[in-house]
Amino acid sequence: MELASVILVWLAYLLYAAAFAVFLIGFVTQRPWTNALGRWVAAAALAAQAVGLVLRGVEAGHFPFAGLYESMVLLSCAIALVWSVAESLTRLKAIGLYVMPVVLVLLTVALVEYNPPVGLGPVLRSDIVVVHVTVMLVAIGCLYVAGGAAIIYLIEEALLRRRRPGGVLGRLPSLAALERLVYRATLLGVPFLTMGMAAGVIRAETFRVPGWATDPMVLLSVAAWAVYLALIAGRVRREWTGRAVSWLAVTGLVLLLVIRFAAVPYLSAFHTYGA
Amino acid sequence: MHVVVAGISHKTAPLELRERLALDDEAALRVSRELLDEGVACEVVALSTCNRTELYQWARDSLAARHAALAHLARHAGVAPSELEPALYSHSGDGAVAHLFRVTSSLDSMVVGEAQIVAQLKAAYQLASDGGCTAVVFNRLFRHALEVGKRVRTETAIGERPVSVSSAAVGLAQQVFGDLRDRSVLIIGAGETSELTATHLKANGIERILVANRTFAASTDLAARIGGEAVRFEDLEEHLVAADIVISSTSAPHYVVTRESVERAVKRRRHRPMFLIDIAVPRDLDPEIDRVRNAYLYDIDDLQQVVEHNRHEREREAQLAERIVEQELANVNDWLRGLEVVPTIATLREAVEEIRRGELARLGNRLSGLTDEQRAQVEMLTTSIVNKILHVPTVKMKEVAGRDQCYLYVDAVRTLFDLDGHAGDDGDTPAGDAGRATADHTDRAAAEDAPSGGTVHRLRGTGTEDA
Repeated sequence: MELASVILVWLAYLLYAAAFAVFLIGFVTQRPWTNALGRWVAAAALAAQAVGLVLRGVEAGHFPFAGLYESMVLLSCAIALVWSVAESLTRLKAIGLYVMPVVLVLLTVALVEYNPPVGLGPVLRSDIVVVHVTVMLVAIGCLYVAGGAAIIYLIEEALLRRRRPGGVLGRLPSLAALERLVYRATLLGVPFLTMGMAAGVIRAETFRVPGWATDPMVLLSVAAWAVYLALIAGRVRREWTGRAVSWLAVTGLVLLLVIRFAAVPYLSAFHTYGA
Repeated sequence: MHVVVAGISHKTAPLELRERLALDDEAALRVSRELLDEGVACEVVALSTCNRTELYQWARDSLAARHAALAHLARHAGVAPSELEPALYSHSGDGAVAHLFRVTSSLDSMVVGEAQIVAQLKAAYQLASDGGCTAVVFNRLFRHALEVGKRVRTETAIGERPVSVSSAAVGLAQQVFGDLRDRSVLIIGAGETSELTATHLKANGIERILVANRTFAASTDLAARIGGEAVRFEDLEEHLVAADIVISSTSAPHYVVTRESVERAVKRRRHRPMFLIDIAVPRDLDPEIDRVRNAYLYDIDDLQQVVEHNRHEREREAQLAERIVEQELANVNDWLRGLEVVPTIATLREAVEEIRRGELARLGNRLSGLTDEQRAQVEMLTTSIVNKILHVPTVKMKEVAGRDQCYLYVDAVRTLFDLDGHAGDDGDTPAGDAGRATADHTDRAAAEDAPSGGTVHRLRGTGTEDA
């Protein structure tokens, strides 16, 4: 079953790469069929990845979030899932252009750092950890998508300002649609982020983790959370729209990336990803 | 028999001549019927848009068909044939089919990639078909041509980018706002380009149009023409707040809208974006406006640049479309060649011979008791039955081979014996098509009985590009 799981994840990897290629071709050549094809290929990839994850969980005997491999596959799966939901709701082109490479990078890390399934250490054997992880994944999926839309917004805006709309006209979604996606994805992600952080705090308190409140990862998470709250508050009062909202979403995204790829592995004293 | 096209277009004839040659529905049918009645052509479709007038004929003699087309068009327009002659182009066979496909793909249009022509061709074909002027060949050919037009539009980006100033302005507005339905536009000054742009915006869903001009009467005029609302020029600043899109084309020597007023407007709009288009020379809108957060300003040069860029893209896509046309041409040619008598007889004989051999093989075991002599007799017997049955159809086919209507027989035979191997497919197969068409054709005497299911799309004159 371990082999089947790995094969499925590899298959998903190749399919995501194919979907990315199709989106890229679509962006450059503007063939109308590319968007639908890319969506189908990505959906197939997502399905393969999800089944692969389930098999992995069955083999390991627990929710597959332990270790770098599982957490990366899980995270990329969550992002792809949020994206495909957002895609089917909004029919916005070009977001896949950003999401696919992100998913591919995460999966590359996963496949390079592959480790066979292991049982959970005592630290992670807790329901609240599973809740924490699941809720966080949804939050991060939403916020990554918001960040991607924000990046595309900023690029498109800059091109429009520079009088070079040739590259975007009809190829990228409208500024209004992108801004709406940034806002709505954030609006959806923040409650999950809040819940996930609350679950983390409960976990740290019940197990009396020493010094958790001043841990760099926790501080950065609070900062990201504050950025997202500011985004929502500013947008609700319509003081910040468009560029301002997009810059905040990008700032939040950078913080999330720092947390995952710098703070957790190198600075945090207790957050382990089950390693 | 050949497909022959003869006509004039924006490439060969000036507007003045095109106007005189334009055929309305009635004239199109009349000219087509005359050509049919004279026996020059077996099927005719007349296509008339404001950029071209063309007669497509399925005719035995392509030269005669050209002459007839020239004569009839000249008579209709009231010009001497010698005057029309230099502007008239004609193609026959492959050239004509290729021309038809290029026309439907909008490769021959004044604005390459424009979308009107497919609907116009569809209407022209429908008119001819309802009027009993088409049969097997053109029913198939024109439906195929419409498919080619569709294929080009879905497989290439030929029509994706706006290539006129007003449509580029609309494209940019859509890039900023997305759906334009709930947006409003403020037009300052009553120039021609702003009117055109407003019409374009309206076609793209905008409902609220405000018109402000220094003389209020001019505002009311323009507002009435485009279905907008005239507002006082003095209240411009108020109306800026409500406007998502601003189009300015006054002849004022100074800026009509300043950076400060846009700044105030955006603030009062609670930072919803504004898209401002300046098509006036000298400019109406302070270029500094572009620095305002959430306000985007494009002037006429910017728009021209966009148009230029898109033209290049279209040219590249046009090459792709040409390749599609070539592929489709090959498909149609195979079919057209199949309408010849001699190869059809050969195919028919082969098909029946195959059945005969197949049946004998199936009986192989039961015939095993026969001597060689008996077996030879069975062979002879079956062969002679087949030959007897096929004799009369073969002779009859050869008899009609010299006549105009022979392809109808050929088509019937191909359909009845399923010589193109389409049995069991859906109704859109060539065989199915041809069968239906043959029935239409025999009914031509009762021509007013239009084939059922056909709806006429009258789109003439509504087009913006090739109308």
